Amino acid sequence: MSEPKKVSRRQFLNYTLTGLGGFMAAGMMAPMVRFAIDPVFKPAAAGDFHSVADVKEVTNEPQRFEWEVEQVDAWYESTIQKTAWVYRKEDDEIIALSPICTHLGCTVDWASNEEYPKQFFCPCHGGRYTKDGVNVPGTPPTAPLPVFETKVEEGMLYLGEEIAR
Amino acid sequence: MMKWAKKDLEQFVKEKEYIDTLFIPLIPIHTSIDEKMTGSGFQAELTNLFSRIIEEQFRGRIVLAPDYYYIAGNAEAEVERVNNWIDSFTEKPFSYVFLFSFDRNWRKSESDLRGELLWFPGLRNGDLQSTETQSFVKEQAKEIVEIIKESWQT
Repeated sequence: MSEPKKVSRRQFLNYTLTGLGGFMAAGMMAPMVRFAIDPVFKPAAAGDFHSVADVKEVTNEPQRFEWEVEQVDAWYESTIQKTAWVYRKEDDEIIALSPICTHLGCTVDWASNEEYPKQFFCPCHGGRYTKDGVNVPGTPPTAPLPVFETKVEEGMLYLGEEIAR
Repeated sequence: MMKWAKKDLEQFVKEKEYIDTLFIPLIPIHTSIDEKMTGSGFQAELTNLFSRIIEEQFRGRIVLAPDYYYIAGNAEAEVERVNNWIDSFTEKPFSYVFLFSFDRNWRKSESDLRGELLWFPGLRNGDLQSTETQSFVKEQAKEIVEIIKESWQT
């Protein structure tokens, strides 16, 4: 049997001071680390909903609504303007379509071409979409217009992320 | 329209058959008289605003050239260089070339330019954030959008 180890006064002090010092250092480092990797913990801004219009303004005819969002990339933080074509279906459901042509990204207009008064029309290459945003076969786009997530709260229409279809 | 940036130009190279239009902003810079200097700064910002709106509308068919800057007062002397710019796209020449400017001096040489001049009387000086400027920009931009669409249709 070995004798229980004796801790000298000096050793005891050493242990306690190192321990305490380490604890304090950890206390100081933690917020710094947290600060350094903070963006990782931020919820994705893309999931945000933005208030766009009073629901009373939404009719059966698609209308353009605009709102602004903050966009951050590696160098700049900028405000970009977003647009959606919004209308109410017969069953009262609100549809919000992205105006960005799925062909090459021009902005489509509702009923801007006299020959197709009930369609979305892209001025660049004549791409067309029906009212529900589905591309008309035989025109350049190969996918329907993306739809925005919608929600209504206290009479206001909120739009969220774009969902490709 | 596509900007003069790597990602956009890569798309351009890939989709050349669809992109047949070039848009060059012509921006004069005043360097001597203080008041004109700040005014030309304002005009430059205003021009950029228009370029951005046109870009959003037509990014699938138009390439936005880098801004063409020149010392104000001598637009005639720039005609040759502007034409050289336009002609330098030899790989696949653009069917439509638009030259956008607030500098009325270009009108004198309009017929010598190898592109369609989109000249508008700008605002002399102002505040980009003011509602007056914003409604001016929106109205004029609509006009430009229509002119470009019409050119495509003929």
